[in-house]
Parts: sequence; C-alpha cells; structure tokens
Amino acid sequence: MSNLDWAVLICTLLAIVVYGVYKSRGAQNIQGYLLGNQSMPWYSVCLSVMATQASAITFLSAPGLAYSTGMSFVQFYFGLPLAMIVLCITFVPIFHRLKVYTAYEYLEQRFDLNTRALTAFLFLIQRGLSTGITIYAPSIILSTILNINTTYTTIFIGGLVIFYTVYGGTKAVSYTQMLQMTIIFCGLFAAGVVVVHLLPSSVGLGKAISIAGKMGRTNAIDFKFDWNNQYTVWSGLIGGFFLQLSYFGTDQSQVGRYLTGSSVGQSRMGLLMNGLVKIPMQFLILLIGVLVFAFYQYNRPPVFFNSFELNKLQNSSYQPELKHIEAEYTDIFNKKQQQLQQLETALDQKDQAGIDQQRILLKEADEQAKSVRKKATDLMLKNDPKADINDNNYIFLSFVTKYLPKGLIGLLIAIIFLASMGSTASALNSLASTSVIDIYKRLINKQATDQQYLNASRWATILWGGVCILMALYASKIGNLIEAVNILGSYIYGTILGVFLVAFYLKKVDGKAVFIAAILTEIAVCVCGYYKVVAYLWLNVIGCLLVVVLSLLLQQILKPVQHKKGQP
Amino acid sequence: MKDPKKDPELPPFVKSWQQFYRLLILWLGVLILLFYLFTKYFE
Repeated sequence: MSNLDWAVLICTLLAIVVYGVYKSRGAQNIQGYLLGNQSMPWYSVCLSVMATQASAITFLSAPGLAYSTGMSFVQFYFGLPLAMIVLCITFVPIFHRLKVYTAYEYLEQRFDLNTRALTAFLFLIQRGLSTGITIYAPSIILSTILNINTTYTTIFIGGLVIFYTVYGGTKAVSYTQMLQMTIIFCGLFAAGVVVVHLLPSSVGLGKAISIAGKMGRTNAIDFKFDWNNQYTVWSGLIGGFFLQLSYFGTDQSQVGRYLTGSSVGQSRMGLLMNGLVKIPMQFLILLIGVLVFAFYQYNRPPVFFNSFELNKLQNSSYQPELKHIEAEYTDIFNKKQQQLQQLETALDQKDQAGIDQQRILLKEADEQAKSVRKKATDLMLKNDPKADINDNNYIFLSFVTKYLPKGLIGLLIAIIFLASMGSTASALNSLASTSVIDIYKRLINKQATDQQYLNASRWATILWGGVCILMALYASKIGNLIEAVNILGSYIYGTILGVFLVAFYLKKVDGKAVFIAAILTEIAVCVCGYYKVVAYLWLNVIGCLLVVVLSLLLQQILKPVQHKKGQP
Repeated sequence: MKDPKKDPELPPFVKSWQQFYRLLILWLGVLILLFYLFTKYFE
C-alpha cells in the first residue's frame, strides 16, 4: 500500500472512533443507550438494518463466492421481502405497543420466564459466535497487507471495535451506519467501474459477463428442487424466508435497530425499503465478483490468493515444487488465452457451434487450473498442517490491493473496516442489551438504578467483545465466512422463530409446552445439521415447524393453563 | 373522522400498507424473472 492509502485508511479509522465517542455523549440513560429514545426516521432504520446485515463479510466473501462458484448465492435473499411483510404485519406493531427493549421480553409476557431465558440464551450463543467471525473478516485485510498472522490483526481490530462500541450507544451506531452505507454504495460503484475499465479494450461489460457466463459464473437462478442444493429458488424462497424472518424478527441485533424507529410506520417503512433494495444490492456485489473473474481470464491470477500462506510456502523447503506448480499454472493460463480469443470471435459472429466448442474447452482449462491449485494447497498442508487453504475471502481483496489506483485502495479498505465496525457495533450492542435486560435486570439485580444498568451495559459490551475476539481467532479454520455465519444461524434461528410464531398465532399453547418443544427441536436440528441430512437453509424450516407441531402435541398432553397478557 | 391522507402511519406513494406489501411481492416476482432472463442469456 502507498503512503496515500495508509493516510486515507488511518484518517478514516480515527474519524470513526472519534465520531463514536462524540455521539455517545448524549446517551445518558439506559433507554437512550439501548433504544436511542425511539426517535429515528425510516431511512435511518432502513440503512441501519442494511448495515447490520451487510458487514465486511458481505463485501469480502460474496465477490469471492461469485468468482469461485457463480451468482447462485443471490437466491439466498429471495425470502427477505416476504419476511419483511410478515414482520410489518405482526412483529413490529406488537414490539412497539408493548414498549419492549428486547424481543425476548415479549415472550415472558406471553409465556413465562423460562421461555424468555431460553431464547435469550440461544441468541447470545449464536450472536456471540457469529460476531467473532464478523470481527475476523476485516482482520484478514491487515494480515494480507502487512504479511503477518491473522491472530495479531484480529486482536487489534477487535480491540478497536470494542473501544468504539462501549462509548457509542445505539443512536450513535445508527447515525454511523447511515454514513457507512452511503460510502459503501459509492465504493461498490467505483470498484465496478474500475474493474470494467481494467478489462482489455476489446472486452466491454456485456462481453465480460458473457465470457464469465460461458464458464458457469452467471447462474443466478436455479428452479430445480433439490434438498441438498444450497442455493435454488425454492431453498431461497422457503428456507430463506424462515431464516430472514427469524433473523429480523427474533435476533436482537436487528430488532434493536428497527425499535429505534419513531413510530410503527417509520419502522415498517425502514424494513420494507430494505426488502426493495437488498436483493439488487446483493446481485451487484456478486456481479463485481463475476467481473473480477472475467478480469482474471486476461490477467494471470496468483496460484493462491492468500499471499501470507503463499509466501510461507515460497520461503520453505518446498520452493522447487512450488516453482514447478507455478510454471504449470502459467502454461494453462497461456493456452486459455487462445481459447478466449476464439470465444470472443465466436461471440462477435454469433457462431453458436463455435461458442459451444470453446465453452467446453474453457471449462476443461478451468478444471485443469483447479487441479493445479489443489496441488499447491496440498503442498501448503505438507509444509504446515495448520495452513489456511481456503482463499475465497482473499480473492476480491487481492484484486483491490494489486490493481486499484492509489488512494482508492485505502478508501476501499476503509469501507470494509466501516462495514465491519458498524455490524460488529450493533451486534455487541444487542448482546449487551440482552445480557442486561433479559438476564442481569430480570434474574440477578432487579432493583438497580438506571445508571447501574447503563454501566452494566458497558461492561457487558466489553465482556462480549472479549468473547468475540476469542471466537474470531478460530474463524480462520472455517471455510467461506459468509456461509459460516448463515450455517450457524440456521442451527438456532428456526427454533427461536418457532417459539415466536407459537406466541403470536397459537393462543392455546402455554409456556411449558413451548419450552419443552424448543429444547427437543434444538436437539433434533443439531443432529440433522451434524449429519448433513439436508442443506443448511432447510434447518430453519425444520426447526420452526418442529417447534410449532411439538408445541401443539405437548399442549394436548400437558394440562392447559390460563393465557397470559401480551397476546396479539 | 380521521383523514387517511394525513395519517402519519400511512406509507408514501400508495394508499395503504396492503398496497405496499403487494408492490413488494410484485417487485420480487419481477426480480426473479429478470435474473432468470439474465441466467439464460449469458449461460
């Protein structure tokens, strides 16, 4: 990185930390600290929920996913608009009317303390683990740039986020996220323009997508129904719907965002606008990954995108073998150039037979390149059994640092930091609010003053920050980060959603039945997930439906009790 | 009687929340169709 890039990066990081500290001055009571006095307009709610979901992981992993496997991941978000509608009809009016701090407060009003504590506990586990992955994602940026181990960068980034979050209440988080999303949209646009500009003069945007498409990277839609295919229209619409409904309806990191809305209407508008914008935004992020793939058809990509691991191998006794692999990789790339030329000609002449022929040859070359890459990763493991051999998350990053102009590299890296800080901040804020409101205030210290609860929230943020850093240190052993977060969520979200749906719609079911049903379901979901019975998105459906069905059955067996308040 | 046009809880551009919900479902359908055409055109 140039001095200009470093200056841009450092100034932005300092500005965000100072901004967070400055904004926290206003949050002097627990209501202001956790709910921002419920004063935010719809556009702030919208950008805040988007920024919470779209972390640095989105920015790093999604283009890498498109580069490796294509655009099918976009289908994952098809259930989101439908989930927004259900949220606006059911969840939002109830949460606002009952003036709750956390979603789980409602469950005690509807069922009992056990159910509230169980769902809060499941949330704390899931969010605590996934926030660790969120912290790890930007730390790999520094490790690539500075060529040092991710352990040190994870601790540095995590420490910075904790410092900023402890001082920044939820209102500060929301205002910061508005700015972050604006910069992210600008950065995405700039990255897209630059990658098209870097393509050979004979290759425009359309031809670049065509070439990537011929090599299987524009597979945005798959209508085939397959239980074991991660991303199809059906898994996205059905499984995705349940996942998004549970994420936005029962995950405090999102509930806390739209509860800052000044009214039911403002919270609804924020969520519905998110439903309008999210899928096109995700499509564009994946399209950038496809364009990067097209770019690397004309510019030789590194045999492995994680330069830290590659340098380690180059400096080892396996250097001669690596040189041989590099030569083989270059050979395949050079041969591919001729096929690309012929494909371009066939595309210009609309010669379908020629296109089909070159497509087969290019796919073969792609497979050969993959097998050479496999040789390199095998060598890495031989050299160091603990080596990180998944470089998906480094693909976009490697492109940014090597090919983008000076200044823009610093800005794009700063954007990744901003995105990560925003989502991590709201996650830590929600972990703190659930720990304090649902556990500390309800079970440990019921009579404390407002100031004591505020202090407890700050200490809880520090504690959870530490836990998340520890989790982040293990994140390098997990494959694609964005998938890891979603898989983790699928183990727990379905159960929590099932509990909420029973609370909203099955008035006959009481707390004891739903509590036992939730525990049995969680065990069943973990077994299904462990043995990979179905693709992970379906775990949300199974979890949710199982809680509903078991609750009804158990209610028949157990003696019904009088309904509690809080029912819709 | 309350004038619905002045009701702060109503969404902009449409007359009711139900209309907004229908619009969002329509938007999802259009996106799936466009992505399908995109996949078919470039594959």
